[in-house]
Amino acid sequence: MNTEKNWTSFINWFAIRPRTTGFLLFIVLSIGIISVSFLRNHILKEEERNEMNIILAETHQNMEQSLKNCYTTTVSLALTLNNDGIPQNFDAVSDQLIKLNPIVSVVQLVPNGVIKYIYPMKGNESALNLNVLDSKYLRQDAEKSVESQKIYFAGPLNLKQGGTAIVGRLPIYNNKKFWGFSAVIIKLETLLKASGIHSIDQSKYYFQFSKRNPINAKEQFFLPFKSDLSESYYVSHPISDSDWKLYLIAKKPFTIYTPVLFGGILGFIIAILFGLLTTKLLKKPEELKIMLKEQETKLLKNELKFKTIFEQATIGFAIIEAHTGNLLQANNKFYDMLGFTHEEIKEKGINSLTHPDDLDNTLLHIKKLNEGLITEYFSEKRCLTKSGKIIWINLTISPLWETNEKPTSYIAFIKDITERKKAEALVEKSQARFKSLIDTIDGIVWEYDLETMTSTFISKKIENLLGYSVEDFLEIPGFWEDHIHPEDREFAIALSAKENKNYTNHDYEYRMITKNGKVIWIRDIMNYVFENGKPVISRGIMIDITIMKEAEKDLNNSLQLVTEQNKRLLNFSYIVSHNLRSHTSNIESIIYLIESADTEDERNEMMHLLKSVSNSLDDTMKHLNEVVNINTNINLVTKPLILSKYISKAKDILTEQILLNDVSFITNIPDDAMINYNSAYLESIIYNLISNAIRYKHPQRKLIITINLYKENDKDVVEITDNGMGIDLAKNGDKIFGMYKTFSNNPDARGIGLFITKNQIDAMGGTITVDSKPNVGSTFKIYIK
Amino acid sequence: MNKKIIWIIDDDAIYQTIINKLIQKSGVFSTHSSFMNGKEAITTLNNTLENNDEFIPDIILLDINMPVMDGWEFMEEIKRIKSKINKRIIIYIVSSSIALEDRNKSKTFTDIIGYIPKPISVADLLSIVSEK
Repeated sequence: MNTEKNWTSFINWFAIRPRTTGFLLFIVLSIGIISVSFLRNHILKEEERNEMNIILAETHQNMEQSLKNCYTTTVSLALTLNNDGIPQNFDAVSDQLIKLNPIVSVVQLVPNGVIKYIYPMKGNESALNLNVLDSKYLRQDAEKSVESQKIYFAGPLNLKQGGTAIVGRLPIYNNKKFWGFSAVIIKLETLLKASGIHSIDQSKYYFQFSKRNPINAKEQFFLPFKSDLSESYYVSHPISDSDWKLYLIAKKPFTIYTPVLFGGILGFIIAILFGLLTTKLLKKPEELKIMLKEQETKLLKNELKFKTIFEQATIGFAIIEAHTGNLLQANNKFYDMLGFTHEEIKEKGINSLTHPDDLDNTLLHIKKLNEGLITEYFSEKRCLTKSGKIIWINLTISPLWETNEKPTSYIAFIKDITERKKAEALVEKSQARFKSLIDTIDGIVWEYDLETMTSTFISKKIENLLGYSVEDFLEIPGFWEDHIHPEDREFAIALSAKENKNYTNHDYEYRMITKNGKVIWIRDIMNYVFENGKPVISRGIMIDITIMKEAEKDLNNSLQLVTEQNKRLLNFSYIVSHNLRSHTSNIESIIYLIESADTEDERNEMMHLLKSVSNSLDDTMKHLNEVVNINTNINLVTKPLILSKYISKAKDILTEQILLNDVSFITNIPDDAMINYNSAYLESIIYNLISNAIRYKHPQRKLIITINLYKENDKDVVEITDNGMGIDLAKNGDKIFGMYKTFSNNPDARGIGLFITKNQIDAMGGTITVDSKPNVGSTFKIYIK
Repeated sequence: MNKKIIWIIDDDAIYQTIINKLIQKSGVFSTHSSFMNGKEAITTLNNTLENNDEFIPDIILLDINMPVMDGWEFMEEIKRIKSKINKRIIIYIVSSSIALEDRNKSKTFTDIIGYIPKPISVADLLSIVSEK
């Protein structure tokens, strides 16, 4: 536990210091990388040293071998000495020896330090008789050979005969007494060549050859290379039997190997990257922390803002615990509105605030809200304030828990709408007043929405006038249309608000069928209501005008009757004036002539004339009387009459003419056929038409009169056809039924029969028509009402 | 002043007798002829035009209501043969009708000079003759 804690705090220490940690990581990695690089470099260097040692050892061995050979040479040379110390066959042996050991350029025998024998002599003459023990420089080397009693290689020396060479001197003792030296001179160059110095990789290494100066003990270098080896990398090996040292020197003094360098650099870069990455990664939580901080600040600000809104709002807020109904929190407005303090409400309980009449509904909905059946609850209800006043509030309750969560608390918004409610109540009251006013109007007031194409209002009067309920009219589509009288439906719908697109106020009349099946006349007065120049609503009133309509109909009928009567009267007066005047004017003229008569005869003639005028006038008066009688006889008795009887009766009266003119009858009438008519008129009409037919018979043919009875449009028609002379209807059609209209010069023509016939038929409410062609015949049709 | 030829077209026999007397009394007509209807008159006129121009009437007194051919029909006939007549015939309607429509209808015929309601008097005849 403690370790863990320490570990955590340790980690934390790094975590909160991203730069330091990154840098530390970088350092650690760098150190590692440098160490490894060094190690690698060292290994490589070691390898190189080994290689150099091998090369050096090889060369060294060669050199030693060469020098040994020289030793052998010196020994062999020494063996030329006889017991007296005189060399035997020196030249021959020397020559032999040089041939055997070609690195030796010169052999010498130096008895007592004086060079006495030289082979080859040529070129080395200057050395002859040189006492090496005398020369300070040479003496030391020579003495060293004496001291060690071994061969000692001296030099390298600059030879008198030119070049650099080494001298190997072997002290020779003859009978344990120092005789001198057997010496070989080896050209340094030759020695080096023989040792294989030149066969090495000269780009990498070179050799150096040194000797400790016997005088000042300083090292002296002989090869023409760099001699200051302090900064060079080298290996060396002393050469036995001399003070020489052989060096192998690397040309590049100190190498950091390229792969190592690259590896190092790469590692370094990686270290940097790791460092940066770590810093970055460790910084991330820091950044997040900063962000978190910012968010936190924002949240705090928001909270403050909302708190302010909560407190300053004109709407009351309250947060209430869902199950207990405890008030958790509320804003000032909430308390102000209700007049209670937080504590008072907590004490009384939230439910006591609601008007008892509205409480059940509220509780029901809160229950639903808790059960998740509804997600929000709006209502308008009454609340009781502390002062005992009742206020109306608009309540909105929203749950503060997510769906599928358990109910926790909800927020309630309340808004005082008492004023609005008051206004509404006022509006309602005035609406009710208007409604009752509208309902008292003796007409059905309606309203139609032109946009939704629906009836939006119909006044209660519909129940009185049509018997239908308001609901039927408003709820059943097409109710109005369906209850219009079928004959009026088409035009009424065309003029209605539904179809009419003129949008001009107008009124029109149509019939409707009431619930009882009665037909009533409606005058529909309609108006349009425009909004922004667009008609939106049509309103109107349907007035029952049935009584008016009936009165109008009666009036129209009366008017028609009166007009007809008037027309007949006018016609009659015309006839009267015309016919009576023709007589009176005649009388007037006759009287004038009587007065101005010159003779008695003339006067008598005029008196006679006056008498005939008087007779004519009498006839006319009779006819007129007859016509007047027809027209004024209102109480005509009609009853079913057997038509065939009346035809027979007419035929009886006209028997004489029928026989005289040889008239044939074709009567297609059943014996029992009955028609409703006035007896006297029927007799007169049939008599007149048959006598007329006989009167105007065609002179060249036998008269045939055909009488038919049939129905036309449910009306009885009596048709009398003859094949007589006919009448030119184009000329006389309008006159045929006129009074005193005659169409021939027939002396029997009186021009009264058809006139009276027509009057009688008219009086019976029927009509008479004629179809006639000159020289073909005429057909009269009597239409019976 | 030359005496005029006058034709009376009327179906009223009594009137014919009366007018006869009145013409005689006026003494301004050389001859007068009576016709019972328009048809008779137009037939005679046509015959006269063919045979003897001298007997073409100067004045015609025309009734309206007559059988066979009434006054209006007669006027239509006159229109048709008018071009053949090389004499101005003065035509008056003489009718017992005092109906305005008859009077108005008479005005539609340019050949009708005037409308005289019955009874006609000697003075009427004289004024007709004196009118030119």
